[in-house]
Amino acid sequence: MSLARVNWRELLSKYGLVLALLVLIIILALLSDRFLTTSNALNVLRQIAVNAIIACGMTVVIITAGIDLSVGSLLALVGVLGAGMATGDVPPALAMGATLGIGALLGAFNGFFVGYVRIAPFIVTLAGLTIFRGLALAFTDGSPISGLPPAYFAIGYGSFLGIPTPVWIMIGFMLLTHFLLRFTPFGRSVYAIGGNEEAARLSGIPVKRVKMLTYAYAGLASALAAIVLTGRLNSAQPSAGYMFELDAIAAVVVGGTSLSGGRGAVFGTLIGALIIGVINNGMNLLNVPSFYQQVVKGGVILGALLIERLISSRNQT
Amino acid sequence: MSGVSKAYGGAYALRGVDLELRQGEVHALVGENGAGKSTLMKVLAGVHRHDGGTMTLDGKPVSFGSVAEARRHGIVMVYQELMLFPDLSVAENLYLGTERGLINHRRLLERARTDLAAIELDVDPATPVRKLGIGEQQLVEIASALVHDSRILIMDEPTAALSAVESERLFSLIDSLKARGVSIIYISHRLEEIFRLADRVTVLRDGRLVGTHEIAAVSPDMVIKEMVGRSVLNYSRKRVERGEIMARFEFEGPDLKPGKLELRQGEIVGLAGVIGSGRSTVLNALFGLTGKASWNGMPVNSPRDALRRGLVLVPGDRKMQGMVAELPATQNISLATLERLSRFGVMNARAEKSQADEWSGRLSLRPRDPNKPAGTFSGGNQQKIVVGKMLATEPTVLLLDEPTRGVDVGARAELYELISELADEGLGLIIGSSDTSELISLSDRILVFRHGAVVTELHAPFVEEEVVRNVTGASQLA
Repeated sequence: MSLARVNWRELLSKYGLVLALLVLIIILALLSDRFLTTSNALNVLRQIAVNAIIACGMTVVIITAGIDLSVGSLLALVGVLGAGMATGDVPPALAMGATLGIGALLGAFNGFFVGYVRIAPFIVTLAGLTIFRGLALAFTDGSPISGLPPAYFAIGYGSFLGIPTPVWIMIGFMLLTHFLLRFTPFGRSVYAIGGNEEAARLSGIPVKRVKMLTYAYAGLASALAAIVLTGRLNSAQPSAGYMFELDAIAAVVVGGTSLSGGRGAVFGTLIGALIIGVINNGMNLLNVPSFYQQVVKGGVILGALLIERLISSRNQT
Repeated sequence: MSGVSKAYGGAYALRGVDLELRQGEVHALVGENGAGKSTLMKVLAGVHRHDGGTMTLDGKPVSFGSVAEARRHGIVMVYQELMLFPDLSVAENLYLGTERGLINHRRLLERARTDLAAIELDVDPATPVRKLGIGEQQLVEIASALVHDSRILIMDEPTAALSAVESERLFSLIDSLKARGVSIIYISHRLEEIFRLADRVTVLRDGRLVGTHEIAAVSPDMVIKEMVGRSVLNYSRKRVERGEIMARFEFEGPDLKPGKLELRQGEIVGLAGVIGSGRSTVLNALFGLTGKASWNGMPVNSPRDALRRGLVLVPGDRKMQGMVAELPATQNISLATLERLSRFGVMNARAEKSQADEWSGRLSLRPRDPNKPAGTFSGGNQQKIVVGKMLATEPTVLLLDEPTRGVDVGARAELYELISELADEGLGLIIGSSDTSELISLSDRILVFRHGAVVTELHAPFVEEEVVRNVTGASQLA
């Protein structure tokens, strides 16, 4: 049966990713006795939460064959705006809600130029990257905002059923993103646009609007990550999120989502974020100097893509 | 070339074809779609290797395993899609790959000026190719073939995208090439051009040679007689009483003069015409893709607009415009009906599955496995998926552009059957096709397009030769 064969291949390529993660975990467990412990596992999950949340939004954008470089700066901007409100008279719940709303709006601003004005996503979001960062610095005069209400601390350091709150938020947002991609007309349109934009347009899919919404969703994801990060640091910093776009893109791509669009899933992105997180954590435990950590991280990303390319080229023949 | 054969799988595309080319002649190659013209030329240009027969060049046997090898022997094909680098200058395009070491721009320009003057082509060699018109680009491409000392040029429908003035320049270039001893194989559906340019004409039908004639010894009607009557799928539609006028269209477009079209319920209108005649542009305009169009007085602004009002197009290029290859057939079929298949913003999986099952059943999708990615189906079944997607919207008017291009005979018969059924159900259909026998089998009426306007309207029963005569422009000749 051809059906069985196709599913096998799909399983293999998904399995391969999980396998890579397992191999990595085994190696690190052998190298360090502090690695394979419950507290370290939770630690890794908490560390990857911010990146994984951003990467969820990035996954949606990349499936349309787009890219969003502005997520780190956007995180900083909405982080300080929200913190500014929360340290003023605004109740924390409202400040957080506003953070999410502004994040989505700023994302939609990117999306407007990508979808309706048809400027290349790379350029639009590169502009966004500098504009949002500049605004964040201007708003705070370059200094962090602290003295936040305890609600932020609760998000950053609380836990439920022994699992840290940031991890719950990450899991919730992943499920939401998965649901959006798999079970809604919006998600279907996202895949269709990434796979064949012209065919999508000829099928009556509102391509411009859908594209704009994907960037709005990426903005929302960054804003959620901003709230978590603010809680972790117990302050909002205009320099937060520096280079976060690269970690998010790396998680998405290592997770098997194709930069040329049309293919990908949140599950892969989670594994991608985990692989990167485990590597970071392991190297810290092994006291690898931070300069070399960057080299190793880059090498692993390249290696993951090399393996993916080998698998997919074998599938084609 | 003698006795050349080529088979794909079990099907012969060419059977024992002979072709002889003299130095400095323009040799026209004609035949209906699927006659084997392109295959024969691909064998000659080294794209495919022939299975049987022999080729000789200057008395020596040759066989080309690659385009590069054919080029080394001086044989070059000028493709319909241009192969130039738009941001490089004319001169740079001409000598790409021939210069070694550093490029001396001044010397390059000098050389280009001399070479262009030699073939009387008046183009500034310093201009970036992007800034030239499509016709001039084509001339440059031909010139670049000559720079590489080509002796045999193959041109496939070279005037398809050209204006009348540009075509004239091409013709005079061809004349000057002839004078230099270059041989040209000229493929065209436009008999007017062939009778003006060619020294001899070879007619192919069903992959076989029908005959080669001195152009002075034949008339356009004789050539048409040899072209038609190919053994195609013998399909004939039962034509019933047509209903009320359901749609009045007005349209105009980039290469399309303003025009009108009325469509009755249950009617199939065929659009005939060569590439670039406006045949395909009309369909795109009516669907809101290009130009302007109105349907019953209301403008059609976008495909989305057209779809909402029950007008759909099955586009001519299914890979580029029709399907999303990575998505399963099921999801392709539901692509135009996402809103109807969802409630409160959530897809109804059961409704989606039953819609896909319904259409893959009605269209006899093979293999009947709608969970496979659309790209893994055969051409004919891919087309069924695209048709199913559009029909799922329950349209009242169905536009089809080249509905059976690249579709095998079996699937073609099934599509014809479906098209007839749809007409019987009261849909109005407009079908554009370069396959004359397809239009004759299906249409109640055929509109022939030439130079962006309808020049003739023919009614069933049709005489194939009459249709072909109008399409090729032979009716304009003596």
